[in-house]
This record gives sequence, structure tokens and C-alpha cells, in this order.
Amino acid sequence: MSHSIGVDVGGTFTDVVLRGPDGGISVAKCLSTHDDPADGIVTGITTALGHRDPSLVTRIVHATTLATNAVLERRGVRVAYVTTRGFRSAIPLGRYARVEEDRYDLRFDPPAPPVAAGDCFEVPERVNDRGEVLEPLDEAAVARVGEEIARRGVTTAAVCLLHSYANPAHERRVAEILRRVVPTVVISSEVWPELREYERATTTIMSAYVGPVMAGYLRRLTARLAGIGITAPVHVMDSAGGVMSAELAARRAVATIESGPAAGVLAAAASGHPDVISFDMGGTTAKTCVIRNGEPEITHEFHVGGKGSFGGRRAGTGVPVKTPAIDLAEVGAGGGSIAWVDPAGTLRAGPRSAGSEPGPACYGLGGDEPTVTDANLVLGYLDAASFAAGTMSLSLDLAEKAVDRRLAGPLGVSRAEAAHAVHEIANASMGSAVHVVTVQRGIDPRGFVMVAFGGAGPMHAARVASRFGISTVVVPAHCGVGSAAGLLAGDLSTDRVLSAPGADPVRVFAILAEAAAADLNVTLGSPGVSVTRSADVRFTGQAHDLTVRWSDSPAELADRFFARYRQVYGIEQRGPIEVVSYRVRVTQSARHSPVGTAPGAREPGGPPKRPRAHGAADASDAAEVRRAAYFPELGGYIQVPVLTRATLGERAGPAIVEDAEATIVVPPGWTARLADDMAVILTEGGAA
Amino acid sequence: MTAETLTAEVLRNALVVAAEEASIVVVRSAYSTFIVEGSDASAAILDASGRLVAQSMATTLMNSMALKVALPELLKDIPAPGMRPGDVFVLNDAYRGGVHTNDLLVYRPVFVAGEPAYFTATMIHVSDLGGLSAGGMAPLATDIFLEGLQLPPVLLATAHGVEPAIEAILRANSRTPDKVMGDVRALVAGTAVAAARIEALVGEYGPAGLARGIDDYLDHTETLTRAALLALPAGRYEASYPIDDDGIDLTASHTVRVAVTLAPGSGAVLDFDGTDPQVPAAINSSSSQSLAAAVFAMRCFLDPSIAMNDGCLRAIEVRLPPGSLLNARPPYPCGGRFVPIYAAMEAVFQALSDAMPERAIAASGILQPFSIAAVGAPYWIHLSYDFGGVGARQGKDGPDATGVHFGIGRNSVPQVEPVETRCPLVVESVEIVPDSGGPGRYRGGLGSRTVIRFLADAHVTTRGDRLRNAPPGRSGGLPGRLGGFHLRRADGSLERLDSKVNNVRFGAGEAFVIETTGGGGIGSPGDRPVEEVLADLDTGRVTPHGALADYGVTLHPDGRATRVAG
Repeated sequence: MSHSIGVDVGGTFTDVVLRGPDGGISVAKCLSTHDDPADGIVTGITTALGHRDPSLVTRIVHATTLATNAVLERRGVRVAYVTTRGFRSAIPLGRYARVEEDRYDLRFDPPAPPVAAGDCFEVPERVNDRGEVLEPLDEAAVARVGEEIARRGVTTAAVCLLHSYANPAHERRVAEILRRVVPTVVISSEVWPELREYERATTTIMSAYVGPVMAGYLRRLTARLAGIGITAPVHVMDSAGGVMSAELAARRAVATIESGPAAGVLAAAASGHPDVISFDMGGTTAKTCVIRNGEPEITHEFHVGGKGSFGGRRAGTGVPVKTPAIDLAEVGAGGGSIAWVDPAGTLRAGPRSAGSEPGPACYGLGGDEPTVTDANLVLGYLDAASFAAGTMSLSLDLAEKAVDRRLAGPLGVSRAEAAHAVHEIANASMGSAVHVVTVQRGIDPRGFVMVAFGGAGPMHAARVASRFGISTVVVPAHCGVGSAAGLLAGDLSTDRVLSAPGADPVRVFAILAEAAAADLNVTLGSPGVSVTRSADVRFTGQAHDLTVRWSDSPAELADRFFARYRQVYGIEQRGPIEVVSYRVRVTQSARHSPVGTAPGAREPGGPPKRPRAHGAADASDAAEVRRAAYFPELGGYIQVPVLTRATLGERAGPAIVEDAEATIVVPPGWTARLADDMAVILTEGGAA
Repeated sequence: MTAETLTAEVLRNALVVAAEEASIVVVRSAYSTFIVEGSDASAAILDASGRLVAQSMATTLMNSMALKVALPELLKDIPAPGMRPGDVFVLNDAYRGGVHTNDLLVYRPVFVAGEPAYFTATMIHVSDLGGLSAGGMAPLATDIFLEGLQLPPVLLATAHGVEPAIEAILRANSRTPDKVMGDVRALVAGTAVAAARIEALVGEYGPAGLARGIDDYLDHTETLTRAALLALPAGRYEASYPIDDDGIDLTASHTVRVAVTLAPGSGAVLDFDGTDPQVPAAINSSSSQSLAAAVFAMRCFLDPSIAMNDGCLRAIEVRLPPGSLLNARPPYPCGGRFVPIYAAMEAVFQALSDAMPERAIAASGILQPFSIAAVGAPYWIHLSYDFGGVGARQGKDGPDATGVHFGIGRNSVPQVEPVETRCPLVVESVEIVPDSGGPGRYRGGLGSRTVIRFLADAHVTTRGDRLRNAPPGRSGGLPGRLGGFHLRRADGSLERLDSKVNNVRFGAGEAFVIETTGGGGIGSPGDRPVEEVLADLDTGRVTPHGALADYGVTLHPDGRATRVAG
């Protein structure tokens, strides 16, 4: 009779999903508590548990923005950095790119380095790319550096020596000596032994920077949960959608940076469709990811706080972190994105966002700039009274005033035309994120299913899907807490990498698999434990490599690389290849059914049951609710039916489906129906 | 206002994304050392009348101006009506829009109703195309023939692939034939990706709709540019930049001069009249590169979010005297363009700083390119540059070792591990040079020092400037400290090299030392607060000796610092 709990702590809300032994789901949503996120978590879990016995909870999976925020807001611990002699300046000088507007800014200042220049140290030593020692380590110098670090009052050090991926002996010895006076020392050959010193160093520094914060937080959280009777282990989702123990998460804090978005993608993957484009639109950004054969795409290039444009990530902006992450494209278009008219009279949407304070004009919190949410309210897609299940009422009047004053007036068009143009520009902007993960990577999006979630996603999804010839959109039952639901779909897993050009692959993979298994505390070969091997391969002489699934047959490995190369770059090319790095992912299957298709969610043969959290009276007999919504292809505002999941059945658009978690817009030409698992399925052209 | 005009932003973004995707494909699949070590590829969308419609975000103005200036030249030789779908064209002619022989400009027509209506274009510095020096830098070239293979506009590929005759010529003229062909294929593939996107836009908007949308986009950009220019103080502002020497005659300096005229209602005129004549040495520039430098420098004083397309260019007039350092004629060499165009950029910055002292920037240390190559086959090449310190800005210190070079950041400087894996050398250090930032109330950015020790004999080629004439300070600020190129012998002694040398042979065990020049300061160093000097001491930007000599600040053993009177 065990219960599993997924907890996603976001910027605004803490979402909790509880799955009972019968697969039944309870959800709870409460405000995040920023001083100590554990407060919000305990509140949310208590609500979701209701009268259930806390001791029956056997598993808690957690997604947290703690590491992300620590990096973005520079709230980690002070770190000293130790490197090879001659390179003390490397981190302060940085490897930033100047992109877009920065290009023409003579007053541009390079981003502040993750370690203060005064806290960077160097020690005489040198190893070459083959791991041979060119200059022995000066141990006395290391001891002096340790004393200076201690004298400066710094208690954490990150060590990254040149070519330490090829021979970690010097780094290990430096750590031993430093630990006499510096309590916490993190070395690059343990964190992420991959070639290219700058990214390896920043990944190591970030581990040192957020590790203690994460460790302290998880200790407090575990204690708080014990306080309400939950003694189940706390697991943390990593950026690649795997799950690790709290102890490992504290050591590998950098691997958790994208845990929330990763959970959302897992929820989309759990929708039961093999080829999915996840579409998650929130208040400030929209995120997309491609899932093929149920597997989300993974990237090994990730920048925390990096700038993006048109959904692409800009290398050289933000802090590079080299651990695997689910490959998301993100654009700065959300409900809060501000619409404006530029000095030459062109309507623009974003990138500025009204955030949650003051928020869109219709929130009535003092914002007077029109946002995408205001436009959606003016267009009748949103309802002033039923927004967020009536927990918050919106002011149509304020939205109209903002659109009139800032957009329609200056542009000389009607209020509805201005609002609809804002809606369209937002759709195009979100479409560019879809474009990045599909067309730009050689993937034809037609035939994919778009899974929409997040507060605003289902309002825009069908229009965005149309732009790509995607004819099916799925809005899962618990689309408002999609990320928390995704947490329960995560397997226990972790990754290891080693750059070892010319090494014996069998030996390298064996070492990596053993190390990863030890991280997870599992035994290789035991039931449910699997090892995925992959390699970073490139054409000999090129700099950029692609990660492909490993094959012991060199010809097969080459074929996989050529195929991947053709898919990514559209170039048919063959030639000598080389392996740069080896990767393993060790996974212990969580052995459970995904949330979206939970068997208890619907009585067999019976009518669709309302999601439990929604309460509300039975609407089946009531007169159908209608409201005016704007559809230009039908000539403007027309009265459309406003349905709930319970009353939907199957309907042709235009229509609006509302529930506590989201508003779904069914445009003309689309049909919506309720699926067995309470998801709403939108289909373009013909019956569903 | 139509719905299409209301959502004009959608089309404008799509055009930029088309260029963006072309550059992604080129970067990911090219072999050129520059690209391999981190630089970006350039890509642009143009129309058949030669207007620049959009460029990828990472494209420098140097390359987009080359692509813009060269397209009409291509169409002169190969008229559009004769082009067939699938055709791809190439040129590198420096006197017809190109840069220098190693930069290949590749174009693909996009057909509307059977006629080329648009062109997608890509461009990178390819691995090697012959000339005096492997990798394409030949600072001692006295004419263009010593710089490598010249390509007039020619058909590079058809729908059936690269033309065998052109491939044979390129291969025969390259020290690294396989890599050059890899680069060429990458460039061709990039144009194909962008062309597919433009074709999709033609389908979506209709031929007339797309043309109208593009016209509106360029007009919109012109309106924004003119509005931004109107906000600048009217007047005529002059400045100049003396180039150290031309690398052949070390006694003669050459000067780039500019007069910037800002007149209400008529945009900006940047007139380089008075610039010294072209010389038979590698310090001349093709006109497209000088145009890029002038427009870039002007744009640094305008709203930076204005799009870069033909609309912006219409509001900025650039006059480049034919036969001058900034507009070379055949057969004067153009491979060393960095020097004269940096000079042009710096001169415009100083002219506009005089116009707007509250936005002033002091002179900067400039880019110091160098190449290192095997002395014989099999060839390996390491082509790189280090940045000088940026001049102080009014109200702010200058950034260290990053230059103002077309707004490029330090991400294009190679990392040590991949270079050492590829070439027989050891990078001993990459450091800031303490005290090299020009002292002032606002300090100039520091230069850097890189030391590369060779494990095998190698040829070193350099192309530096502001290594004899230090970048001056402004308003009482002092100049930045001079850098230089050096040969460190096995016994540790240093020999200073000239700023522009060709194929200097270094033996195994010897080291190449690259020191870049610091930026100039603004305001009197005596006005710099003691606590800022103390902070510079903590980060190592200033030594105790420099603190005393440059700022009159003494560091006491207890960690306090005080200013010495007088």
C-alpha cells in the first residue's frame, strides 16, 4: 500500500502529485516559499495526503530550482579556484560571446566571473594530453596556496588542472594537500573529466559553488519530512530526467540545474505517444523538447543563465555546465510578455515580461502595459471570472484600456485586431522554439503529437501546431502540474564521462559503468539495472562532435555517426572518424506505470470522471455556457461554447475548454475530444 | 493597416532565422582552423538587387558587407537570367567586394517564378588557399599574387554537386586540400538550408507579399536609424590613426583620417578623405571591409537593437577615397586588412567621442593575429589572435584583453587542451599583463600575455599594430602599455620581433610570446580613488610598483593604501 510523491518547486507555485497504490492521483498546488522551500513542500504534501498515513509514503521525487537560482542569483558559497601555473587569469578573463545588441555596445562589461580574480590560484605542475607528466607537482606550493585560501576565509575550493581527464593524479594530490586546511575540495577529474579546460573548470566551480547549498537544503528537507512522519528517501531529478539519491544530488548539484523542465518533458513523454513535441508555456517563457520513441533528446552543451535568441542557445553566454541535460529550446514568450509599439511603428511582443509583479494589466496590481495574457482576455480566450479556477479575478476593463492606449491607438487599428496580432506574434515566437528542436535539427515535425501543458500552453498550442503541420495536440489531465507528474516517471540513473582519445573503449566503459553504479549504489548485472553506452564522435580533424549510441563494431559506429551527421547538418559525408569521449548512463528502472495513463483515473465503462481536485457541481444538465471569442477566420467575435472536460465529449471548434488548471482554445477546423485518461485531444481537419 | 503589417515582426524574425540556420550548418561542419577553434560563420540573405535583407546574429559586419558589396559584381559577370536552380557561385576577389583570398563568399539564387529573386550567402575563412604563408596570413606580401589563389565570380556547384574543375583548382592551390573541400561543402550546405527557408516564406507570403514585407522591413530599419542619428549632436568631427609601419619599410608611418559629419535630417557622412595612399604592403583594405569598419563604429553610438540590413546602410554614407589604404586597387595586397580597418574604426570612435564626451571611449589595444605552422608537410596550422585591452569608457574602466573588434568576445580565443592535442606545442601561460592598462580616473583594460613553446620547428607569422604608437588616453588619462611579439630562446632570453613578420623560424624548445597592448585611460590617474587602486592590487591588475608610479598610491604592510601627496 505504498504512495509515491512528486514535488516540483517552481518560481511561483509548488506542485505536489501523490500516486496511491491503485494508481489514483491527488494533486495539490500552493505558493512557493522562497525563504525556505521546505515550508511550501510540507504544506503541499500535507494537503495532498489528506487523511492518508504519511508512513505509507515510500518514495519522494523532487525537482528543484535551488541550484539554478543559486547560480543565477549568485547565492552559492565563496569558492577558491586552483589551476595549473600560468592560467590563474583564465576564469576571470572568461570566454564570453558578445551577441546581438552587445555587439554594438561600447559600454559592454564582460559578465562577472564565477570566482573573484583574487580567489584564483595556480600551482606549478604540467601533464600533457596523453597523461604524461611534463612537470612534477610542486607540493610545497600547493600547501602555501592552501594556507592562503584558508587565510582569506574561503572554505571551499575547486581544482581544475590542464589535461586532468588524461591523468588525474596531480588533481587528486592537490585535493589531499588542500583538505588539510580547506574543508571542501572538488576536483574536475571527478566532477566531469572531459576535454576543454574552460567548461570543465566552470562545471567544477559550479559544483563547489552550489553543492554545500544543496546539501544543507536536502538535509533540512529530510528532517522536515521526518517531522510529519515521512521517512521515505528523497530523490532528486537531474537535468537529463534521471533520478538520484539526495546524497548524490548534494555531490552532483550541477546535474540538477534543469530538474524542473526535465520533469515536464518526462510528463509529456508519459502521454503514451512515442513521438512527441512537448510545449510548456508559463508566465515568462515557453519551452519545447523533442521526444522520439519515448526518449527525450539529450544535450551536452548547456549554459546556465545563457542568452538565447529565436529559441537557440547562444554559446559563450551564461556559465557552461557540461553535465547532460534534456535538450530544450526556450523563448522569452509567456503570458507575461509585454506587447509594445517601437518608435518606427512596428508591433512587438517581448522580450520584456511583466512577471508576477506587477503582472499583466488585467491582474490589477498596477501594471499598465498590455501583455499576452491581456490580449488573450480581450480576445475572449480567457475568462475574467474563471481564471485559475476563480482563485484570482481578472479585470477585462484594465486589459482593454492597456491594449487601447498602448497598441490599438498608436497603431490606428481596432482593439481586437491589436490583441489578435499580439496573440499571433506570441505564437510565432513560440513556434521558433519548436522550429529549433525540429526543423533546425533535421527533424520533420509533421506526424509528431504536441503535448501542451503549463498555465498558458493549451491556449496557444493548436495555433502553434498548425504552423508546423502538426495535427494532434494532447492536453494531459494534470496539465497544470505536469512537471510534478513527470517526476514519478523518472528512473534512478546517473551519467559518467571520460575524454580519452585513443583509449581502449572496453576498459573505459567498464570503469565508467562501475563508477556510475557506485554513485547509484546499485550492482551492475542485477535485475532492472541497465547500462547505456555512447560516444562523442567526430570526423578526424573537426572540432565539433556528435554523441551517438556506442557499437563495438567500428563500421557500425561510423554508420551511426554518418547517419546522425546527415540528420543534424543535412550533409552526406563519410571519412575517417575519431572518438573523443566515452559516456555511460546507468539506470535502475523504477518499474511503474506512467501517470497519464493511470488505470484508476477512470471507472471502466463509466462516464468520464472529473479530475478530483476540481470539485464543482455537476454541469451535465445545466444550460451550455457560451461566450464571445475572437476568430478572424470567422469574421471576428462569435459566441462559442465554453465546456469542461466533463461536458466535452467530442466537439468541433471553435470552442473553449476550461478547467481548474488551464484553458484550452479549440480553433475553427479543430476537433476536441476527451480521451480515456482524461486528456483532451485536439485534432485538426476532420473528426477526432 | 493589414493583418500582415500588424504581424510584420513574424516575417522579420523568420528572415534572420533563415540566415541563422545557414551559419549553424557551416559552423558545425567546417574544417577551417578559425571555425574549429570557436569562431562563427557568416550567413546572409540578400535580394537580387543586392540589398542586404538579413544576416545571422553572429555574422560580423566585415563579412556581411563583403557579401553585400560582392553580389552585384557576381551578377555583372554571371547575369541572373542564366542561373539555374541548384547553382552555387563563389568568389574571393578583394577588389570586387571580397576580403582576402582565404575568405570565400558563396551564393545560391532562390528562384521566384523562374527568376533568381533572392540570394542566400555564406562565408568563412577557409583552411588554406596557398600564398606565402599557410593559413592565409602573408604580412610581407607586396602584391595580391603572393596572398594566394584569386577567384573571380565562378560557378562552384550545380544541383549535381561541386564542379569538378573548380574542385581540382582549389585542391591544387591548397596546402590542406581535403580541409578546404570540407569547408566548401559546408558553405554550400549552409546556402541550401537558408534557401529552403526562403522558398518556404515565398510559399507562405506569396511572391508579392514577401517582397512587400521585405521592403517594409528595410524602410522600418531606415526610419529607426535616422531617428537615432537625429538624436546625436550636429557638427563635423575629425580624427586620425597613425599605423605603426607597413612591415616592409619600418621607418614610414601611414595615417587613416576621418571626418564625421552629423547634420540634422541628412543622416551621417563618414568621409575618409585625406587617408594615405595604398602601399605595396599588407596594410591595405578592400572597400567592403572599410565600409564595415565605418558602419560598425557609427552603430556603436546608435540604438544597438536596430536590425542590420540595407535600411540601416541607407542612413549612413561612407566615402572611401579610391586608391587609398581603405579602398585598394589591383594588385595592392589586401590580406592585412585588420590593421587599416581597425584604424578606421578607432578614428571614428575618437571623432564621435569628441562629439559626445559623456559617451567617450579611449583608444584600445588592437587585435594581434598570428599564425603558427609546420615548416613542411604534413602541414598543421594554428591560426589565432589575442585581444588588446579596451580603452576606458567615460565613467567605467575598460575590459581586459577583449578589444572593440566588431564586438567579438573572448569565446573565439582557442582553449589550450584542444590546441595541444592537435599541434606539437605547449601553451605555457595565458595571463593578464599587470600595469598594462592606461592609468586614469578610469583605467584602460589590460593586455594579455600568451607563451607558446614549440615541440617541433615551426614558422610564425604575425600582424600587429599599436605596438610602437601606444593607444592614447583622453582628458588626462595615460596611454596603454605597449605589447609586442617576442621569440624566447632556449636560454630564456627574449628577442623582440617586428609587429608584422612572415615565417620566422622557431626551433623546438623556443617559445613565441604574444603580449597585447593595453587600452588608454580617461581622466587623471591622480583622481582615481585609492580604494579602486586597492581593488586592482587585489586582482593583480596593478602591481605595488605600478600603484606608486602611476597612481601615487603606496601599499602598506598592514594592507592599507594611501595616496602620496604631490
